[in-house]
Amino acid sequence: MAWNYDKLSWSEVRDLFRTWREDSERKSKDVVDLWEAVLMDKVDHLGNEKYLILEQVCVAALDCYRLSLAEYCIKILMREFPGSLRVHKYHAMHLEALEMYDEALEVLDSIIKRDETNAAPRKRRVAILKAKGRITEAIKELAEYLKKFMSDQEAWHELCDLYLQEQEYSKAAFCMEELILHNPHSHLIYQRYAEIKYSQGGYENMEIAKVYFAQAVKLNPNNIRALYGLLLVTNNIALSAKCPTAKKKEAVKLSSWVANQIEKQYSAKASHDDVRGVEGLLGQLQLDA
Amino acid sequence: MAELLLDPNIRGWVFLPIVVITFLVGIIRHYVSILLASQKKVEVHQVQDSQVMIRSRLLRENGQYIPRPAFIMRRHFFNNEETGYFKTQKRAPVSQNPMSDPSMMTDMLKGNVTNVLPMVLIGGWINWMFSGFVTTKVPFPLTLRFKPMLQRGIELVTLDAAWVSSASWYFLNVFGLRSIYTLVLGENNAADTSRLLQDQVSGAAMSMPPDPKAAFKSEWEALQICEHNWVLNGIDSDLVGTQGRLDPIESIYHQSKTN
Amino acid sequence: MAGKVRTKQERSGEVIAYSEVAVRNNAAVVEYCRISMAALSGGTAGLLGLTGLYGFGFYIFAVIGLWAMLLMKAGGQWKKYFISRRSLLTNGFFGGLFTYVLFWTFLYGMVHVY
Repeated sequence: MAWNYDKLSWSEVRDLFRTWREDSERKSKDVVDLWEAVLMDKVDHLGNEKYLILEQVCVAALDCYRLSLAEYCIKILMREFPGSLRVHKYHAMHLEALEMYDEALEVLDSIIKRDETNAAPRKRRVAILKAKGRITEAIKELAEYLKKFMSDQEAWHELCDLYLQEQEYSKAAFCMEELILHNPHSHLIYQRYAEIKYSQGGYENMEIAKVYFAQAVKLNPNNIRALYGLLLVTNNIALSAKCPTAKKKEAVKLSSWVANQIEKQYSAKASHDDVRGVEGLLGQLQLDA
Repeated sequence: MAELLLDPNIRGWVFLPIVVITFLVGIIRHYVSILLASQKKVEVHQVQDSQVMIRSRLLRENGQYIPRPAFIMRRHFFNNEETGYFKTQKRAPVSQNPMSDPSMMTDMLKGNVTNVLPMVLIGGWINWMFSGFVTTKVPFPLTLRFKPMLQRGIELVTLDAAWVSSASWYFLNVFGLRSIYTLVLGENNAADTSRLLQDQVSGAAMSMPPDPKAAFKSEWEALQICEHNWVLNGIDSDLVGTQGRLDPIESIYHQSKTN
Repeated sequence: MAGKVRTKQERSGEVIAYSEVAVRNNAAVVEYCRISMAALSGGTAGLLGLTGLYGFGFYIFAVIGLWAMLLMKAGGQWKKYFISRRSLLTNGFFGGLFTYVLFWTFLYGMVHVY
């Protein structure tokens, strides 16, 4: 979003930053631009919030590869809180951005040594390994981390991604199961789990994928991706050789129902011409089934 | 009932100051306790234990959403006789004697400094400073039973129970202003002493039950008897059955906490 | 924990999922209103010089008034914001009473006793 920099007063920008912080939106480009245009000169008006904003700007600057700005923020923070582990973490992130990975690792290790319960530096270590492209090592490190911090949802998500990169579908599925346990009402997680199961292939996994796609559709009937997934899975089951005829019939029924739903979704959302195109495409899919 | 006539000076110099003093002391206590609050040092295995507990609780609560093999596998991880987490992790029971742990002792001291000490000090001071005044009258009749409660410091047999002495007025304030602190200082403020007693279940889950061994044992038992019935069974036919009427159906059913 | 969800089964067998955070937030806002209401109505009762049962009657009137106003504010879909209508009325009744009595006594004392 383009902000009209001249119109916003510094207090408005401060409030904007605050809402972004609370909703943990990154908006790195906006943060950096607004900081330079409006807030930079008013730093002394901010009071204690200054340091929170500096942190925010620091991360944003690293995102945008504005290293000098990040360094400036870190310097101020360092001067104010010389012993703070949090600031050390930003220092390590800056080193990461400079691709000085070994130095960054050293800093992170020193943080971990001083505070063993600090989760953030451990995660940064994984991030460094990932940045270096050493996925297997990153997986190992992250698994080690998850042994200690078992209910960290973010980490389970990340581990799932890493396993998917390595095409270890069963392990990725395990991670998604963990996330379902944490979050049993999120249709996106069900959808993802079903996708992984679908990718794994095999008749049993197809059945599971079908059920979880169905659950995702049930939780959010507008989830088009889950609807398409359900369509593919049911077609696959119907085609499978292992499938008993009764189940085959059910799958065909479900498949036609889903196709119907998708059509409905499109007719609700798109103009008439588009719908005809999709209807044509779906008709072809039907033929396959 | 004989009406009493009180000197208006009592209002200005006793009645009002007590309210103001109690209120301000509460506020000061809030900020002092923030000042004194120390970050609790947490050991890494404590964090691990608490997170394990969360995970196993979630498994019990939401286990019916994952396929059966996945559930069994996880339960095996926690509960297996030889290798299960709850069986192999041996934690030394936390010493119950707080005197052996110096950090715990300072915590206790700080708690006393911010909670008990001001109560006693200010209460004593008010008792001494404003002793013997009849300050006000509660606007509703009370039985004689309330006399010792409301007329502390005044031993008059004939005085109506509705009259309040200065010391009792102070205590009324201490209790009555509690919710006002919530209004002024926000939730979970330190001025409100009653809240300190309640165990706060924080999302960070850094707190740990005092004895991990007992907690593990109870969790192990709870998990052992936890049965898995897959709620998603037959959900696909449900979908077709409802024909687009996708209201939540009975399969996401409510499971109350088993503990 | 941001995504906490709590479910509750209705009598009809329908399941409603609540967001734990939102429920807690609503409860906190209502609590805030209730304390303010107790303090203000206590002050009013004291200024008016209500005594005895009239004072307590005024408190009950204020509680019911607040409840009615909350439901009016929520409009037809109070179910969207609160789990139960009755608990909205009864929760914190006695906690509020304490505050009410304090303010009532305070202002009554200030105005009418001396």
